[in-house]
Amino acid sequence: MRLRHLIFSLFAILTLLMLAESGYAQALDISSGGQSTITGAVNGSVTGSASVLNDLVVTVNFGEVSPLNTNSVVKVIIPIALRSNQPYQVSVAMSGIGNANGQGLQASDIGFGLQNPRLLGGAGQTCNQSTHIVRSPFNNDPATAATVGSNGRVAYPSSLASLSGSTIILSGPELSKNNSSKRQQSDGWIFDAILTITPQYFSAGVSSATLVFSIAPGPNVPC
Amino acid sequence: MPLQIHKPLLLTIALLFSALTCFGQSTSGTVSVSATVSKFVEINSGGSVTLTGNSGGGVTTDGVANSPLAVAINLGELGPSNTNPFVTAQVPLKLRSNANYVLSMIATVTSSGTTSNRIGAADVGFGLGTITRSGTGVNLTGTDTNATSGDPTLAANGSVNVTTGRYEFTAVRSNLSAFSAATTALSGAFILNAVPRSNTNGLTVPAFFAIKPQFFENGTTTISVTFTVTAP
Repeated sequence: MRLRHLIFSLFAILTLLMLAESGYAQALDISSGGQSTITGAVNGSVTGSASVLNDLVVTVNFGEVSPLNTNSVVKVIIPIALRSNQPYQVSVAMSGIGNANGQGLQASDIGFGLQNPRLLGGAGQTCNQSTHIVRSPFNNDPATAATVGSNGRVAYPSSLASLSGSTIILSGPELSKNNSSKRQQSDGWIFDAILTITPQYFSAGVSSATLVFSIAPGPNVPC
Repeated sequence: MPLQIHKPLLLTIALLFSALTCFGQSTSGTVSVSATVSKFVEINSGGSVTLTGNSGGGVTTDGVANSPLAVAINLGELGPSNTNPFVTAQVPLKLRSNANYVLSMIATVTSSGTTSNRIGAADVGFGLGTITRSGTGVNLTGTDTNATSGDPTLAANGSVNVTTGRYEFTAVRSNLSAFSAATTALSGAFILNAVPRSNTNGLTVPAFFAIKPQFFENGTTTISVTFTVTAP
């Protein structure tokens, strides 16, 4: 009998924990917003789920970014789906890209911007009193906004070097009309995160970085 | 017995909630990024060829700056009827790299003559001139090592052999006989900083080829030179 009670108790706790997690998660959510794409790459790739029901887990391989790649730019577009029943903010934290050689690939050599907000289906919330704000300086397409600095190196209005700790890149009013505890096909907004590298005479090597996108309650703005 | 009934039931409930949680929501997502930079070197034409001291002949295929190096030159008459001290072709080279580089050269000289008085590889003077690193994006502090003796027509690089009377290019790597196999002519530090390929700056250096008109055996001579740049 004791064993039976113990098993009952354990499963009850487990069930409550799952319910609690589901209940908490329904307020704010970040997931894949569709199939990510890459253009201009040589031996590059991008992998991740195309389903908006799946978590945002994307692996970007820019491939060759020396002058062996004769394309003007390597551009990656990562659709990100956001859901919330309250005002929200999205932040990004970066780790990696610590090249001691100044001529090596630096965080500032990877353009990063946020573009193209759009409804994720009919249950996405359209608010009239507040707008979704892409925080400065990230509201740009780095592939088209790139310039050449006085030293000859390509510069972007915003890049991974613009991230300092956990940096807020987006905020706004609620995103979803419903209060479902589960992701649905049409209950939020999609934004495109854009990453670009212009092939240059970087010093040889392999570089990597990890970006963690997070959504949290944001400034209390009306819908 | 009741315990055996409850176990599968509870397991089913747990799995059901696990599945629901899988379709549930998350407050974070991850993007992993990587990129590769390979060593890169290239050689192109540095501009137009300059031909001096020639009698007849001319530049058949000229160099075009920043285009692949493919130059053809007719040095003209190299017998005593050409009274100039030297026939000299100056071929500008442009090198670009993101890594330390080595420029090597291999040359072949073939002549229709059959005697030792025909033009041979040792009769073709060679050297690399002043090395120039300039322009935005160029690694101006990088150093280069010229393995040749420079302009082969300089007095220090050749003279008439007092025994044979034949003019000889005597300095180190000052004639094409030193390049019958691939031999380093120039080496140095990386040339360009992190700038895009559209930046046309680089390292420029003139390659000198010179022949002193002499009483060579009559005939025609073909000289073929191939430059190769690598990043060891």
